[in-house]
Amino acid sequence: MEIRTETRDGITIVEIIGNIDSNTAPQAQGTIMPLIDPNCLLVLDMEQCHYVSSAGLRVLLMIAKLLATKGGQCALANVSDEVKDVMEITGFASFFKTYDTVSTAVEAFQK
Amino acid sequence: MDRIDTHPTHKYGEFDLRCGKPLPFGASIVPGGVNFSVYSQYAIACELVLFNKHEAKPFATIPFFDQFRIGNVFTMVVFDIDYENIEYGFRMYGPFDTKQGHWFDNTKILTDPYAKAIGGRDIWGETPDWTVEYQHRARIVFDDFDWEDDSPLETPPENLVIYEMHVRGFTRHPSSNVKHPGTFAGIREKIAYLKELGVNCIELMPIHEFDEFENSRISPITGERLLNYWGYSNVGFFAPKAGYAATGKYGMQVDELKALVKELHRNGIEIILDVVFNHTAEGNENGPYISYRGIDNKTYYMLTAEGYYYNFSGCGNTLNCNNPIVRNMILDSLRYWVTDYHIDGFRFDLASILGRAQDGSPMHNPPLLETLAFDPILGKCKLVAEAWDAGGLYQVGSFPNWGRWAEWNGKFRDDLRKFIKGDPGMVGAMAQRIQGSPDLYQWQKRGAFASVNFITAHDGFTLMDLVSYNGKHNEANGEGNSDGANDNHSWNCGWEGSTQDININQLRLKQIKNALTILLVSRGTPMLLSGDEMGKTQRGNNNAYCQDNEISWLDWSLLNSNAELFTFCQRMIAFRRAHSALRSNIYHQDKDYLSHDYPSLSWHSTGAWNADWSYQSRWLAFMVLQQRPQSGTPRNTFVYVAMNMHWEAHDFELPGLPEGVFWNVFANTDMQPPDDIVQPSQEIIIENQTQFLVGPRSVVVLIGK
Repeated sequence: MEIRTETRDGITIVEIIGNIDSNTAPQAQGTIMPLIDPNCLLVLDMEQCHYVSSAGLRVLLMIAKLLATKGGQCALANVSDEVKDVMEITGFASFFKTYDTVSTAVEAFQK
Repeated sequence: MDRIDTHPTHKYGEFDLRCGKPLPFGASIVPGGVNFSVYSQYAIACELVLFNKHEAKPFATIPFFDQFRIGNVFTMVVFDIDYENIEYGFRMYGPFDTKQGHWFDNTKILTDPYAKAIGGRDIWGETPDWTVEYQHRARIVFDDFDWEDDSPLETPPENLVIYEMHVRGFTRHPSSNVKHPGTFAGIREKIAYLKELGVNCIELMPIHEFDEFENSRISPITGERLLNYWGYSNVGFFAPKAGYAATGKYGMQVDELKALVKELHRNGIEIILDVVFNHTAEGNENGPYISYRGIDNKTYYMLTAEGYYYNFSGCGNTLNCNNPIVRNMILDSLRYWVTDYHIDGFRFDLASILGRAQDGSPMHNPPLLETLAFDPILGKCKLVAEAWDAGGLYQVGSFPNWGRWAEWNGKFRDDLRKFIKGDPGMVGAMAQRIQGSPDLYQWQKRGAFASVNFITAHDGFTLMDLVSYNGKHNEANGEGNSDGANDNHSWNCGWEGSTQDININQLRLKQIKNALTILLVSRGTPMLLSGDEMGKTQRGNNNAYCQDNEISWLDWSLLNSNAELFTFCQRMIAFRRAHSALRSNIYHQDKDYLSHDYPSLSWHSTGAWNADWSYQSRWLAFMVLQQRPQSGTPRNTFVYVAMNMHWEAHDFELPGLPEGVFWNVFANTDMQPPDDIVQPSQEIIIENQTQFLVGPRSVVVLIGK
């Protein structure tokens, strides 16, 4: 798995390339959590992440929770139907706003 | 600061180890690794066998060192294992001496009795690879689901309407139109329907892991292999059935079920699990090794003096429920489902077995049942017993209860069935059932809610079949129609099975409405069988345990073809909710006059204040008084129910009402829709306030207001 980050108009965009499972979850957590500053707006671009395991779902939730405690917000973009479905069925989807593209996520934050 | 015990003390090959903690049993994620712990009194050695997920052969076998055994518990921490992607089992060494009750076999890999998830049947009905030696494969789960502010609902039993369903059958039929048919997720998609119907508790037939492939019979009708569709055959008491989860293929059944429970609770719906602690899937002496038999046969099973399995369950073996170790396992299991899954209650299959001693004899004060009655963690959850077993113990009305246990009231079912088909001599019994069966429960100072009232359940005919078949038709089960109950107290209304005869079909619908009405005006907790609200048929099969097909699946198109039944059922449930007098837990006593000189409950017949208790009487009426304070002034509502199960119409003289109060019709099953029932509070005043003609085989519900 690879994680790329960029900042667009004050919004942190994190691109996750590859699956998040128990092997990659610690790396994802270790890379993304330090990016979370107070009032941080974070978009996770999931276009190239096709599978999120139980461990992966927990990493995503931890990110959302940490953001919430720091007054920030988190959005998911480009989530594949399969990942979206799994998140919905397991109850994790309710913790996230999901957008079709990174641009719409960014626009939503800017409103 | 790092804990010292996060560092290994021993090494075996590439694995870092240390002595574990014996409790909790099972596999627990600890800092740096996984703590494994398994009990066996008679094993002399134990090995942990590790597999990569789905792989046939293990990648490691690690012995529990001598110093890793504490008492009768083998326990160790294995560090740095990828617990999301492994499966584990145990290999036990010990005596094979069946006369002494020992069945140890170190060629077998055994499932952890405390496994929180079990792989091997991840997708329902997907044929297993039988060459794999380890079939039911223990897995390690995350137990950190985010429940937010959810907790069990603790709905008072008097406000409960239970809906018994099969997870797969509820949405497997294409007509369900859900995205994930036959799964926990499918139920979640139907929550709006459950709310519309008005039920506030679902009771799931077994959802503990089981093996749908344990049945080897072939259907003589279709030639297809029959499955164990119902799943009254546990492989593990802590693991949810993976095949019931849309995400079972990813091993996410734990989160999927928890998400369902959370969403049900958010919508005010409780969830009761049907739990099967009376036997396991290991069967008799010829059954497979799955877990308990190979881990500690003598502890887990009730054995005869010669070492054979007692069979009080009718399924080959009997779990040794009052052995202290097994007792603790059952308690641990129930506590786990309440703590980790927020389950609201349990219905115990063949619960009388839980009151048998280790030698099989019924106990006066069974320690297991007492423990469950007083357990602090189970303290607010519903405990419902199926108060009989297959060994002849029948304890309806006498199940050891400590005021905590309720019972499936089999007498309610039988008496109601006989009454609605017009048997003579039933009015006395029906008066008891309608009151919440004081004849069964009052002597122990139990209330009406000791009784779970039902007409139909998964065992036996559906309600539509109850009025469509005189006898069972179980040929498709492949047992020569010898399985299933024979005493169904059913009546086909004049033709065996489906018919185009309009009169017969109308009578059947009426009989269904009669049954639903009496169920929903009776005191005690009502339970509906899923599908009865839309006239589900199993084509006369009264034991569809092996029918994973259209015989069992709920056909949602019935909601259109039998729309009047759904409306009727929905409004009757709403009526029950609207009138607390129908839900009283306190048994009527003649002295409890409330006001206006009316008793809180009174019995009538074709003559007011004059119930006809004679043998030939098939007519009975009752009136309940509901005192309702309104704007500071008590205002009473009267509910009057007339039941004429005779094949001819009869005039019922109505009890007189106080000045300014009038009789209004809520339901009359003799009428065609939409005149058979109205919305609660939309009742229609009747012209003749002194007499009501109740049609043949009909029930009328009036309200005095």
